[in-house]
Amino acid sequence: MPGYKLYYFNVRGRGELSRLILHYAGVPFDDFRFEGKDWPAFKSKMPFGQVPVLEVDGEKMLAQSHTIARYLARQHGLAGQNDWEQSQADMYVDCIYDLHGAMRTPTWETDPVKQKELFDKVNQDTIQPHLEKVEQHLVKNGGGHLVGQGLTWADIAYYAYFTTPIMTRLGGEVFSKAPQLKKLIETVGNNPNIKKYVETRPVTSG
Amino acid sequence: MLIETFYRQIGSEIVTNKSFKFSMPVYKLHYFNNPRRGRAELSRLIFSQAGVQFEDVRFSHSEWPNIKPTTPFSQVPILEVDGQVLAQSNAIARYLARKYGLAGKDEWEQAQTDMYIENIHDLLNAAAVPFMEKDPAKQKELYQKFMTDTIASHVVAVEKQLKKNNTGYLVGKQLTAADLAYYAFFSDFIEVKFGGAFLKDAPLLKSLIDRVKALPNIKKWTEFRDSKYPEEN
Repeated sequence: MPGYKLYYFNVRGRGELSRLILHYAGVPFDDFRFEGKDWPAFKSKMPFGQVPVLEVDGEKMLAQSHTIARYLARQHGLAGQNDWEQSQADMYVDCIYDLHGAMRTPTWETDPVKQKELFDKVNQDTIQPHLEKVEQHLVKNGGGHLVGQGLTWADIAYYAYFTTPIMTRLGGEVFSKAPQLKKLIETVGNNPNIKKYVETRPVTSG
Repeated sequence: MLIETFYRQIGSEIVTNKSFKFSMPVYKLHYFNNPRRGRAELSRLIFSQAGVQFEDVRFSHSEWPNIKPTTPFSQVPILEVDGQVLAQSNAIARYLARKYGLAGKDEWEQAQTDMYIENIHDLLNAAAVPFMEKDPAKQKELYQKFMTDTIASHVVAVEKQLKKNNTGYLVGKQLTAADLAYYAFFSDFIEVKFGGAFLKDAPLLKSLIDRVKALPNIKKWTEFRDSKYPEEN
């Protein structure tokens, strides 16, 4: 087994998906977290001045949160059964990345009234239309998983990004019109490996 | 796979559907009729470099409301492969790159190729902010900030990686979709808009961009594209 060291801030953010994949797959890794104040010391070590970064066997470094997650998913059988399924999984994760992006502007808004307005707008304009489509595809695929007939990292990604930040900001009502997706996310959350990790991971703001 | 690489090396002119014993999928790439700065361009470059035929479907913004509901997530580009549909520009590019030998020689190189493609995706998203700004004075300010804050530091980081890799390519020892992505963004967008000054301290990146630009299949594509779809602004 290669030696994995995942460098990221001590938050869930863009590192959590890779952590969840590794925990789901039962793969040990060094979950290296640092506080904001320590970042300048690490920044220059990183290939593009950003984290998360995955260091493999102490020598090779890989940047970009979804590249890392995709690599780990492929290495540990969570990326789909063939090229087409792998691409479908990629597609879903790229979608959730867009949703995460759309959540950022409201997140930075300091006025609480304005912030709520912005989150409601993102929900109306971006999240709900997306959920409507995903629900349709999920039902068409048999209701169990986003891609194929087994769990892929796409399911884990929807779990990760919906639990943080989407549900933390918008609440469970966000799934009022997407019951199958809600069920899928609950199923991922109930996986014993995921559950154990989530119950024991550091409690962080985001 | 070995046969494909051989034919590609001796000139893709002779790579046709008939060269393969199995049948080539029918590809249709759908996007807006935005000539260059679109999110479909990387996939077009991959098709072109690999010598793979595809239908380059472009539609106007007025046609979009009718097309939108037929797409998986109300967005384009989408790729139709023998009738099945894949959405998300990077998922499409990645699928094609892996299929046509432009994603590195092993899983680690594939991951590195992905990483560079995602770097460009971030830069495109960052550029979208000034791009969408309506006020010309504010737009100029935002673009300036984008060049000095975002582009400058990224160019330094990439130049360092190119030096470290020491092969003239971003990943491994051969051309990958990563090189095509950097060419598309830096040559087609940044250079066109801001000129080449940002490359003055990045000779390796400049050399890579120039070499990709001069690849026979890329040259053939860009000449065809530029005459058929003249630049909008």
